[in-house]
Amino acid sequence: MALDQSFTGGSEDFPGLLRRQGLLATAPTVMDAARSGGSWGQTEATTILAFKFAGGVLVAGDRRATAGNTVVYDRADKVLEIDRHSIMAIAGVPATAWEMARVLEHSFQYFRRTQLQEMSVDGKVRALSKLLRDNFGFVMQGVGMVVPIFATYDQGVKPSARLYFYDAMGAQFEAADYCATGSGSPAVRGILYYANKWSGTPLHKLNENEAVAIALRALDTAAESDTATGGVDRNGRIFPIIKIVSKDGISTMPDDKISGIFQSSVA
Amino acid sequence: MIEEPYRWVEAIANRREYIETQLASGSPIAAVGYADGILFVTLGRARQKVFEIYDRIAMGAIGHPGDIERLRMAAIELASTEGFTRSAADVSLRRLAHYSLSPVLKAAFEQVYGAPYLARLLFAEVGPRPEEDLFLRVEYDGAIATNGSSVPEIHQNFAALSATRESTELMESFLKGVHQSNGSLEEALNNGVDAWSVGHMTLHEESSRQLPEAAAIARHRQEQLATAGIEAAILERTAKTPIRYRSLSDDQVRSAVQR
Repeated sequence: MALDQSFTGGSEDFPGLLRRQGLLATAPTVMDAARSGGSWGQTEATTILAFKFAGGVLVAGDRRATAGNTVVYDRADKVLEIDRHSIMAIAGVPATAWEMARVLEHSFQYFRRTQLQEMSVDGKVRALSKLLRDNFGFVMQGVGMVVPIFATYDQGVKPSARLYFYDAMGAQFEAADYCATGSGSPAVRGILYYANKWSGTPLHKLNENEAVAIALRALDTAAESDTATGGVDRNGRIFPIIKIVSKDGISTMPDDKISGIFQSSVA
Repeated sequence: MIEEPYRWVEAIANRREYIETQLASGSPIAAVGYADGILFVTLGRARQKVFEIYDRIAMGAIGHPGDIERLRMAAIELASTEGFTRSAADVSLRRLAHYSLSPVLKAAFEQVYGAPYLARLLFAEVGPRPEEDLFLRVEYDGAIATNGSSVPEIHQNFAALSATRESTELMESFLKGVHQSNGSLEEALNNGVDAWSVGHMTLHEESSRQLPEAAAIARHRQEQLATAGIEAAILERTAKTPIRYRSLSDDQVRSAVQR
């Protein structure tokens, strides 16, 4: 560890620090893979969803990672805790997405440590947007596309759960009720739209168990038609990752609880 | 001046005297280990003196705010880059202090035409058990004093930082008498504030080579608590999240030290 004495006065963000030290990947201007559009089979992770319910925001993701027709991994974790109140869920290329999550996690902590205050929710949402924007050079060349969801709890003047989804270029969209990305998302959006509008109880009024049941149903439906979505593996007892963000922080739904709700409401 | 070795030694001695004078008025800081972590505590009226460096590392500092800021930022940058490129487990206070901060401080101190860092730093890194806690004091000339963590017989689970060497030593000898490494946070707070009082009392009195009487410490502590804010932060030994640093507000700790 060498001490860098080019003091920046803390005006620099964490990606800036990584860039100064040559630790952040930049897209090459020409890449042979560009023509083939990544047909060499890059690993991709699919289908994540999030919605607001009575107890905060629920974020869920199936466990499958694929490369073309091949299932690469059936225990992938696409729902990542970034700090005590923020979750980033990923659809797209895990290699890029996990790196982004690491940068983001360190960015928030670096900001708090150097500036001696917590980064605002708007700042955090924007930080992810900038990472996606920086990654767009890769996306244009057919590799490393990531389409994340960001869920957090704003403890500011008006405490509330906040939910955002992004496109691959970094545009951020705030979701009022729910959002889903990844290859299984059309089916998931159908289920969530139906549940929100016609089921009698809109999503934001659901209790925790009801919310988990809807999330499992949505992922099960997605897996029904989309081979890249893992859904629930009943034999292997591999369940989706479900996390909840509330004002008290993040809680992870234990497998046995998911299993119980799955048996009673989905299977 | 530096062509002649004697003049260089003289210049260094003058510089040391100058720095000691500049540092002489800082409010002391006590770092006290307890069963569930490490507590940093100081009393003050104005600026923050205890900082988070990384998940398990905290820093207290006395000196010029500009120099403290440069060293604090350098330490955070180093720890963050290391934690990002390798893992949080690879960030170690020992390496940070010995291989990165100390050489830079020493170089700045000995280059007599440049400005030295006007700062003394106190670091602590919380371990899985009290015996593995590391306390480390880094001086403006790069000298490092540790709590002897590799030698169990002389391991001390506390450290102090004050504006003068005598005052620091008296704080540590006070803590040696009262401190228990498996105590509660409340005990740590009380010992820490007492140690602070010892440090603060012995700053200004010229002939103070002796520990003050218990009654005098209690009186001084009472007087100071009435007019100054308590700044405290803890490194928690076990927590759900990897980030173990937590600052405690005056409200949270005042009831524990008001007796």
